Amino acid sequence: MSRFDSVWWIVFLPFIGSLFQALAGKTIVDGLGVKLGRAVSGALAVLPVAIAFVIGLSLTLSLKSGEVEVKTLFDWIKLQSVNIPFEFRIDSLSMTMVLIVTGIGSLIHMYAVGYMAEDKDFPRFFTYMNLFIAMMLILVLGNNLALTFVGWEGVGLCSYLLIGYWYKDLSNSKAANKAFIVNRIGDWGFTLGMFGVLSLMAANRDKLGITDARWLSYDVILPAADKILGGYQGLVNLITFMLFIGAMGKSAQFPLYIWLPDAMAGPTPVSALIHAATMVTSGVYLLNRMSAWFLHSPTVMGVVALIGAVTALVGALIAFGQTDIKKVLAFSTVSQLGYMFIGCGVGVFYAGIFHVLTHAFFKALLFLGAGAVIHAMAHDQDMRNYGNLRKYLPITFVTMAIAWLAIAGVPFLFAGFWSKEAILGPAVNTGPGPLMLGGYSAGQIAGWVGFAVAFLTACYMTRLMGLTFFNKEERWKLAPALAGHDDHSAHEEHGSHDHTDHAHHDDPYGFFYTEEEWEAKVAGEEHEHHHALGPDHTPHEVSWVMWVPLAILAVGSLGTTGWFLDKNETFLKWLQPGTELAEGHMVAHSVLLTLSLVTSLGGIALGWFLWAKKLPAKEGWDMAKWNSFMRSSNGQFGIDETLAEGSIKLSGGLGAFLAWCDRWLVDGVVNLVGILTKFIGGGVRKSQTGYVRAYALLMQFGVVAFVGYLIYAFIQGAPK
Amino acid sequence: MTMEPTGFGLLSVLLALPLMGAVAIALIPEKYSKAIKGAAFVISLAVFAVSLSILGRFQASTYHFQLVEYMPWIQQLGIDYRIGIDGISLWLVLLTTFLNLISVWFSFYVTKRVKTYFVMVMLLLTAMLGVFVSLDLILFYTFFEASLIPMAVLIWIWGGSNRNYAAIKFFIYTFAASIFMLVGMIALAGLNAKITGTWTFDLTAIQANVANGKLWVGALGMESMVFWSFALAFMVKCPMFPFHTWLPDAHTEAPTAGSVILAGVLLKMGTYGFLRFCLPLFPDAVIESVPILMGLAVVGIIYGAIVAAMQPDVKRLVAYSSVAHMGFVMLGIFSLTHSGIVGGAYQQLNHGISTGALFLLVGLLYERIHTRLFADMGGLKAQMPVFAALFLIIMLSSVGLPGLNGFVGEFLAMQGAWEASLVAANGLTLAVPIFAGIGVVLAAVYLLWMFQKVFYGKLNPKLARLKDLKTWEVVMVGCLVLFAFWGGIQPGTFIGPMERSLDATRLMAISEPGQRPLWSDTGLEVKDDGSLVQVLPRQINGDMSHPVELKVLAKGEYHFPIDPEAPETPPPGPGAGRRGARPGNAPGEVKQ
Repeated sequence: MSRFDSVWWIVFLPFIGSLFQALAGKTIVDGLGVKLGRAVSGALAVLPVAIAFVIGLSLTLSLKSGEVEVKTLFDWIKLQSVNIPFEFRIDSLSMTMVLIVTGIGSLIHMYAVGYMAEDKDFPRFFTYMNLFIAMMLILVLGNNLALTFVGWEGVGLCSYLLIGYWYKDLSNSKAANKAFIVNRIGDWGFTLGMFGVLSLMAANRDKLGITDARWLSYDVILPAADKILGGYQGLVNLITFMLFIGAMGKSAQFPLYIWLPDAMAGPTPVSALIHAATMVTSGVYLLNRMSAWFLHSPTVMGVVALIGAVTALVGALIAFGQTDIKKVLAFSTVSQLGYMFIGCGVGVFYAGIFHVLTHAFFKALLFLGAGAVIHAMAHDQDMRNYGNLRKYLPITFVTMAIAWLAIAGVPFLFAGFWSKEAILGPAVNTGPGPLMLGGYSAGQIAGWVGFAVAFLTACYMTRLMGLTFFNKEERWKLAPALAGHDDHSAHEEHGSHDHTDHAHHDDPYGFFYTEEEWEAKVAGEEHEHHHALGPDHTPHEVSWVMWVPLAILAVGSLGTTGWFLDKNETFLKWLQPGTELAEGHMVAHSVLLTLSLVTSLGGIALGWFLWAKKLPAKEGWDMAKWNSFMRSSNGQFGIDETLAEGSIKLSGGLGAFLAWCDRWLVDGVVNLVGILTKFIGGGVRKSQTGYVRAYALLMQFGVVAFVGYLIYAFIQGAPK
Repeated sequence: MTMEPTGFGLLSVLLALPLMGAVAIALIPEKYSKAIKGAAFVISLAVFAVSLSILGRFQASTYHFQLVEYMPWIQQLGIDYRIGIDGISLWLVLLTTFLNLISVWFSFYVTKRVKTYFVMVMLLLTAMLGVFVSLDLILFYTFFEASLIPMAVLIWIWGGSNRNYAAIKFFIYTFAASIFMLVGMIALAGLNAKITGTWTFDLTAIQANVANGKLWVGALGMESMVFWSFALAFMVKCPMFPFHTWLPDAHTEAPTAGSVILAGVLLKMGTYGFLRFCLPLFPDAVIESVPILMGLAVVGIIYGAIVAAMQPDVKRLVAYSSVAHMGFVMLGIFSLTHSGIVGGAYQQLNHGISTGALFLLVGLLYERIHTRLFADMGGLKAQMPVFAALFLIIMLSSVGLPGLNGFVGEFLAMQGAWEASLVAANGLTLAVPIFAGIGVVLAAVYLLWMFQKVFYGKLNPKLARLKDLKTWEVVMVGCLVLFAFWGGIQPGTFIGPMERSLDATRLMAISEPGQRPLWSDTGLEVKDDGSLVQVLPRQINGDMSHPVELKVLAKGEYHFPIDPEAPETPPPGPGAGRRGARPGNAPGEVKQ
């Protein structure tokens, strides 16, 4: 019994919670009545995650710096050639991620109890949410690439289920499919990268003295990097690039980011938890975990930094033109993930995780705040219909304002500044590498792009805050576009209760409800009620279960978090044993600080000037009057359209073509042979049994020819 | 191999039970349809129980055949009743009895000509089990062909609207292909007789001559001819692109139980045939044909997936998905690496479970709404949440989600393919695993679409009053779901017993003559590290668990060495590389 045995419970608890919700959740809600039942069921969903956080915290506190502990539960895939145990790794990196996942996770679960209180399928929601937490924990705790991949696909599944949570609206399930499929493209890279690691390790097993075939375990492959990778530059480039493709898919890097904005179709707590704070950062986790290998491929590192920079820039530019509050946040997430990849790409892996941490606070807060706004605004997500909401939602406003200043990178006082600085400082100081453009290294370019994006970020986030909370206009009262505006049909549960005649006379097995049973069933169902946004709407502040998480996250978004982790390089020293830090950063501190001040405050000032007073006429409800930049930004510069629709069209065309070939060529030959032999045989009959003879005849020809050849060959070349 | 007749044993009981069951069912008057169904279920349960006791007696520590039974049959022609199992056939036998039980259970819904139906099901069961336990070529061929008739009848009488065409096409297509195998078998026995002077169709005896190099040395052309005559039959059965077109028709038109058996068991006869006959009997021809078969497997994976995505009919979609999934089995087997061959063999079982379950679920729906078209479905999730949950799990197992069975097999098969391709063994290139990986992405595309079209969106008003599954149906599907999880979380249960036999089969194919394991020599064993060792000879059907090791005949190696100097340069040329770049038995002391 060692002090780390409780690590299993970190995963078991949410998993049991999920099973419990799936099997007993409905019974509880039905048995205790809607209100109490949902409260109990909700509490039982929050509890496992919260306890997991406490366990994680106690493990973290007892973990010595640089200590690595591996715990094995059982053999998972065990062959003589490959051995992949179900094993967890407890070290600074995994525990940091555990704390983020369970900490932010339990707050968001708590919030969701309030947010989803009126949802009919309440237990189903928490089944998926708890399962997600369990899978995410397997992802970060697993001690081998394959186990990480289990979590990797598991969170993808939960993401799929939660994006399509309101499945009656087909567009939601299409968004869910898109997320899963685009992620799978990434997973393709992950798998091949994993195979590469495996082959390379297995080929060098004598050199490394590995006897138990654990080719994928981190405690084996990480120390091996420096010993064996030297001579395999090409293969290492391939492996790390493949793993990076995996990270691109999960962490929504350009061009695989296209699933993330659509993922906003899920309920807002899902967006906060999965599509902002945790799942999308698993790519950064992977890069950190495998940093020992990535450092052996400077070329791929350069690519990582550049892709990160492109992602940051594209995300920020698209965020400007969005009118849906969640879409703005989605693109800002894409953009922030780009920062994290810049950090990894220039070798400050720890800074990537640092930004994961601060981003988890402020972005979860922004999403939950947006959720509160959406909740208060009768599920309308269009910022053009908001305005002056600080008057109605003071708590939401104050907490979101902190997150806004944090993401804008206002120096010292807010958390985002510290982590952004930790990334961009080293980035602009990167030395020359294999990837050079116009005399600048990939890292330097990425760093300068990062500063530009910081300015844009401050600007578009101010737009979001301005349009939502400031302004004197309370635009939902005058919104012309609201007529016939109903985005919320997904919630509507009634509608299928038609009363057409369904008497199934031919139903011997009782597959259908009888008239009486059906009446009873319909009568027992609650009808959900939603009022629409209109001139007489008054927004109300959310209940305590929802604003308490906001307040806690707001505290985490303050500068104290960043300052505490940054002073004396606390966080760097904490993570460094697990991750590798590239050497040689000389930071011109004062210049960078000035830049940070200018970009953050300048961006806010510009945003304030443009959007704080009122909704500009050029960005009103009538999209035709928009200026060209905003219009193309709103249309995502056509990237999504080109990629998604292009690939759908292409594959649809190819599919139709192949289906045609299958029917008329591949199968056509088969049938043609049948028909031809039928003619040759002289049997011209309409009945399809004619084929029998046809085939039989063909068979005879074939057999005769074959036997003939065999005999010939037998005589010619038979062994003595 | 000379051997005293053993008399009949457990395996014969397994074969005879369904036959006697068929007779018993035939004696029950047609009007007592419940009694017929009950009898069929009890018999299936008994057969399953016998197969479990076989599992109980199985020894995982050896590659040799166990529970061997031998009775002289047509001695003049060297055809005998010779049966036995090893790790490869063990799980296929269990899969067969298990899926048969499930199918009979489901067939509660059959109302048309009940007696004939269950007689056919029982005959089919005997034939399928016979295929997996036969150790005599002609006996194998007999069962192989015998399985066609009841299945064709099942399609022909109880099938869908286009059943006539589908049944005849299924029968003729597969029958025509296996005729070539028969000719090949006769040629093989003839060539063997030329060496030994006696005619025999005993698999183990012929393999012994292959293993010690007497049969094929200097006769690659002949070996290839005979190999392809076998391979053609198995390629049609698998089915591999471009010989797959019988399958969508047969699957779609077959009654549910037929589809389950067809997908779950009959397709495995093809891949089983490759493992049991092609690899051990035609080693050089196998290695020559690796690029072709791997190429076709990859084409099948991608092609099957794309065509599946275009189907408007849920059963056709699942049928095409089989083409893609069986491609992974072939991919693993013909990578000729340890992980690959284990993955391929394991994927056979997984495909049996998950595709069998998919057909079962589709069948449950078909019984209710009498349509297979997506256009008539939609929005069923709210109406049938339990059904949707079960369907989701099985769909994900088919997608290859880690934690479920499909992942493990696919992972190992692809890893094997990657490993062989990385060093360009047997003429492979990295394009093979890369494109096979794209097939994994495409699997998500068509299966997710399928799920969406059935369960998401607005409810089709015609289905508004559909109830969820009945309890017994949930239990029935639940059995399969249980194995989907079991196979994904504890694959060792299934992989463990088959690993030794697969190892030996692989060595039979890739080692030099003289270093190949022999089935007929119980003084040989394969060790944990893949090396071939000489042990104190043991009794057939005796205790095989503790071999007394005498000496190592050939050292084993599971993984390819990768040259650190030039990792991307392709492989040593054909002459040096054909055997040189393959991990297998390093030259040691050569036997004989």
